[in-house]
Amino acid sequence: MINSIVNKFKQRNFLIGFIIVLLAIVLIGIYKPHVLFEGLQRAALYALIALPMALLLGIVDIVNLAHGEFMMVGAYFAYFMNVQFGMDPIVAVIPALILFFLFGIFVYYITFKHIIGKEPLSQLLLGFGVGLVLAETITVIATNFPRKLGLDYVSSSATIGGFTFGTFEFVYVAAAIIVLVGLQLFLKKTDTGQAALAVGQNPRGAKIVGINVQWIYLLIFALSIALIGAIGPLFGTRYTIFPAVGGGYTLKSFILVAVGGMGSLNGVVLAALILGMAETLVLSSLQYGKWADIIYFALIIGFILYRSHQRQVK
Amino acid sequence: MTILKTTGVTRQFGGLVALSDVSIEVEENEIVGIIGPNGAGKSTFTNVIAGVYLPTAGKIEFCGRDITLKAAHEKCHAGISRTFQLMRPLVGLNMIQNIMVGAMFGKGHSLKESRIKSADLCKFLDLENTARPISAMTALEIKKMEIARALATEPKLLFLDEVMAGLNKNETMEMIDTVRKIHSQGMTIVIIEHVMRVIRELTHRVVVLEWGKVLCEGPYEKVSSDQRVITAYLGEEAEC
Amino acid sequence: MKYWKYLICAVLLIIAISLPKFIGVYPLQIANIILIYMALALSWDMLLRTGQLSFGIAGFFGLGGYATMLTSTYFGFNPLLSLIAAAVVAGLVAALVGYSVLKLRALYFAIVTLALGEIFRIIAQNLEITGGTEGMLLKQTMFKGDPAGTYWVMLAIGVLTIIISIIFQKTRLHYASTSIRNDEIVAASSGVNIFKYLVIIFAVTSAIQGLVGGAYVQLYGFVEPTATTFSVNFVLMPVTMALLGGVYTTWGPVIGAVLLSVIAESLKLRIPYGHLLVYGLIMVVGILWFPGGIMGFIKKTFKISNQ
Repeated sequence: MINSIVNKFKQRNFLIGFIIVLLAIVLIGIYKPHVLFEGLQRAALYALIALPMALLLGIVDIVNLAHGEFMMVGAYFAYFMNVQFGMDPIVAVIPALILFFLFGIFVYYITFKHIIGKEPLSQLLLGFGVGLVLAETITVIATNFPRKLGLDYVSSSATIGGFTFGTFEFVYVAAAIIVLVGLQLFLKKTDTGQAALAVGQNPRGAKIVGINVQWIYLLIFALSIALIGAIGPLFGTRYTIFPAVGGGYTLKSFILVAVGGMGSLNGVVLAALILGMAETLVLSSLQYGKWADIIYFALIIGFILYRSHQRQVK
Repeated sequence: MTILKTTGVTRQFGGLVALSDVSIEVEENEIVGIIGPNGAGKSTFTNVIAGVYLPTAGKIEFCGRDITLKAAHEKCHAGISRTFQLMRPLVGLNMIQNIMVGAMFGKGHSLKESRIKSADLCKFLDLENTARPISAMTALEIKKMEIARALATEPKLLFLDEVMAGLNKNETMEMIDTVRKIHSQGMTIVIIEHVMRVIRELTHRVVVLEWGKVLCEGPYEKVSSDQRVITAYLGEEAEC
Repeated sequence: MKYWKYLICAVLLIIAISLPKFIGVYPLQIANIILIYMALALSWDMLLRTGQLSFGIAGFFGLGGYATMLTSTYFGFNPLLSLIAAAVVAGLVAALVGYSVLKLRALYFAIVTLALGEIFRIIAQNLEITGGTEGMLLKQTMFKGDPAGTYWVMLAIGVLTIIISIIFQKTRLHYASTSIRNDEIVAASSGVNIFKYLVIIFAVTSAIQGLVGGAYVQLYGFVEPTATTFSVNFVLMPVTMALLGGVYTTWGPVIGAVLLSVIAESLKLRIPYGHLLVYGLIMVVGILWFPGGIMGFIKKTFKISNQ
């Protein structure tokens, strides 16, 4: 592994990119140090949310446009558990994992299973519809009145050398690392993970060599839902939740997966880092702060243009 | 005149070199066969000439003009047409509509004219009941329809990619006659096949590919008795 | 055989035109809404026929709406001219975006259209000249708000969209769209310039969406970036309507628009929250079990062949 890192440095592009990033970090550190921390935390949250989609879309090629809505439901679940039973949301992650794994199996069986292998259009529309159903069901049950868990530890902060930053958000960093490492281990070290990679690359070929493709799709789908559902409580600790909160994250996750390189979990995290930092940087500027959202969209458009141009040359 | 001339055509897919330095010529009104073991690059060659892929290196000249970097639809307009190894009918359209696509966009005919020309092609290829959907057609009919669709673009060069695949003895003979009919109208044809009998009956000249390279070329008798070719096929000939 | 089709269309048209004579203002408003959604659903379907899924309906709708507002307010365009401006602006932007992006397809294209809508919204929200988060008011609405006049303009737009859709179905555009949708490699090998057709169709359908957006703004007299002009409803409803009525057809989205609008109005009265739930369910059920929608069902039942 050290060898591959050293090899990467030998490529000129990588070296240039690395130097630019290093420079950027140093500059930001000097002028707006809190952006470094906030940016990291924000990036971690985005990466965390995007990783389950990277698993589903990047590895086995299934588009789930209801991605953000599952997270939203998870957040509401944690809210409910907190209000009814006093359960701390971080604790609620465990039951959420199990619950959403089962929920994922259920959803897969009644919806996505039937359109695997059919035109990608159907998947997109189906995901859209499922997301709508989830959001509206929550609206019916809980109205669209925004809710926030008033947890004390969420606003904990620390002060270093004159500037203050939030410390709770490092939970996201920790969670992102855990999920990333966990998924990498799963994909590279387990038979099932390897099978999943095979199915993503060539479903027919995988079938021929005896992999139970149907079962892999089911498993990966349920795993993706379990993860994103369990991330819901984590999200709900800090942020306001309302039925429509998920949609924006679906879009951002997709952008990260596409830009990071379909199928590369590390790429997604890297993309999240760059975007999280950039977004925080823009937000910190009083004048341009409200344009922060455009960063993501400008990036995807720019990326698509670049790819489009590549295609043209090819 | 030389219809097609390729010089050093190479096509790579990442690390896999599918075609390597392929240089061949096809003269007007010839029927040239391309044979070779599986994975030799026969279909890749068709795809590169027809514009589905661009060559990684090399030059393609068609009727004297350089068309190396042209897109697929431009190559079609220039006069190259092809059928597909795996049948690819346009399922949203019926039989005659499939053919009309070729006439309309390959040659630029109006809708009305295309209908007439497509009907003529159907007669030429013995296709009946032309308003049928794809689901109501036999494999032989779909293959003929695809040939008609390719002919509707009024090409100067026609690639037939394993058009005999999946046909029984009678159907194969019928298809051989059809190819002869097309040839007699002045068409230049490149035919990729595994079935040696077809190659023997139809072609003036054969090119043998192996691992993306040209192994040898010449009339069928010469090529089929060449030791290298026999070794490449492990001494087996596909008989139908 | 064909004459009865023309007859029915003529009769329906006469009824539609004379509607203001015998129904009140509120039903007329509903008719306007139906026409708006119908045009959006049809334009969405027209692009779908090429196999491209666009989530940008609300984006171009809003873009056209703002174009109308801005040309009226800052350049003093009269209503009709500002409507044309809406269509032209939307069409041009779509052509530009399409030219840059349409070498890539399906998923990437869908997401770009989604992002596009968001970008327009954010720009509208953040600039002073577009009224910021408050929005802007039209100084003078079309025909000074006369319900019959505005209805007839809407009707004209609706009929225009239907006509364009029929043209798409009856000319070589149908063959281009279908061949691209079914198999791009075959289409290209048969001489179809896929890129050209996609850009043109994307530009035309987006122009329609812009036109409808402009008309909407003329109808209600204001733009507002957060909840109304760029509302996600303008994506949800047309898509569900087209799915319900039957995609890849002209009359499918029309039937879907009428049906769903009626259902929507009656549901809004009965269930205050979550009537959108029904749309979501329709969408899901439609994709899974009735991919052909109502038109597909009718075709199967009466065994009408695929032309």
